[in-house]
Amino acid sequence: MKPKFLEIAWKDLIIEFRSKSTISLMVLFSLVTSMLFSITVPVAYAQSIGASLLWLIFIFVGMLGYARAFIREVELETLEGLKLAPVHPASILAGKMIYNIVLMFLMELVVVPVFVGVFNMSIAKPLLFFGVLTLGNAAFAVTMSSLAVLVIKSRSKELLLPVIAFPVIFPVVSSTVFALNMTVSGRIQGIASPLKLVVSFAVILLTLAFLTSEYVFMD
Amino acid sequence: MKPQIFLRDVVKTYGRFKALDRISLSIERGEKVAILGPNGAGKTTLVKVISGQIRATSGRVEVMGKNPAEFSRELRKNMGFVSHNPMLYDELTAYENLKFYANLYDVESGDRIEELLKKLRLYGRRHSRVKTFSRGMKQRLAIARALLHDPEILILDEPTSGLDIEGRLELLMNLSTLEKTVLLTTHNLSEAERLCNRAVILMNGKIVAECGINEAESVYLKHCRL
Repeated sequence: MKPKFLEIAWKDLIIEFRSKSTISLMVLFSLVTSMLFSITVPVAYAQSIGASLLWLIFIFVGMLGYARAFIREVELETLEGLKLAPVHPASILAGKMIYNIVLMFLMELVVVPVFVGVFNMSIAKPLLFFGVLTLGNAAFAVTMSSLAVLVIKSRSKELLLPVIAFPVIFPVVSSTVFALNMTVSGRIQGIASPLKLVVSFAVILLTLAFLTSEYVFMD
Repeated sequence: MKPQIFLRDVVKTYGRFKALDRISLSIERGEKVAILGPNGAGKTTLVKVISGQIRATSGRVEVMGKNPAEFSRELRKNMGFVSHNPMLYDELTAYENLKFYANLYDVESGDRIEELLKKLRLYGRRHSRVKTFSRGMKQRLAIARALLHDPEILILDEPTSGLDIEGRLELLMNLSTLEKTVLLTTHNLSEAERLCNRAVILMNGKIVAECGINEAESVYLKHCRL
């Protein structure tokens, strides 16, 4: 038997791959935005600001997609079923986080090659670039999933999430972009500092989210 | 012996609105109790408080000696909940839905799922996605979900709401054979008479009467006229 949080994440992934309601929207949005950036931003600047633009796309897509894991449960009224089950709220939250991380990782696999191709970017440390992007996205998913729980009871949840998220995600965004630019240029000395900040921030938020999960999930 | 469900002076407010007003109630193991009342009487709020889905504003709530608002794995494993909302995932099949819940409840799934699907006449459609099911089939599957872990307490919140006559009768037949502590909320007296042996009448968030199920109709009408 899988741990409960993996059961929840697996169930969400099966539902997503069958309905394709969130991932198709996220992929389409990312591709359209990549194309728009490629038209509006001169290719000469791609090397210097490409990583920032790519992250901007992931932020927008994340805003669209991360809350869906919870909103879908609210819309289908299945969240009650999870709340009634002998599963600690922290496990529900962990399941949603893992689902969001996997979703974002799959997005990366599709969007990054297209973006790099469109901008004709040359990345000095491609593996490290992908690793930093994945780490940043994981931290971003953790942050957004934690915040999504707070807004699911609100009427304008999908609008409220970006409003409260932007100030909170700032350390993750700035540090990830900083580290990504280092991998693009190849000058990776000191890359550990921004990455440590990303990890520390995610761990702090994760701890806070787990500690308050029981209270937050209740009425 | 301590009652299985015990409430004393329970109040639940939403802003200024008092959904439950000093509710005191005691239900023994194996009792089948109907909570009767018109729409908006507070029936659903009451069962949500008992099942731990919402927290009472004040008062004492104990289910099997535990406060249901605080997470308790043991308590959750002993409660089954069926409402008008089946709490099922449309994109999963009937079998997958039950398997998912069985895993959450630590139930050795295979045989138990098949047994329930057969009992509730859904075995032939076990690999169909729930989104293709009729309302009645979804409600039958919701009962299977609630019974998977063989709970001691079964809470039924207007389980026949939205069902046609045939679906309603079938559901009642399935539920009437269960030997568990049952708490049923309904505004339908005949349903209560088929399933329960005691009635609690709730109006405007207050318990106005408690009686045997046979007297429920006259007591209910008397309070409705007041």
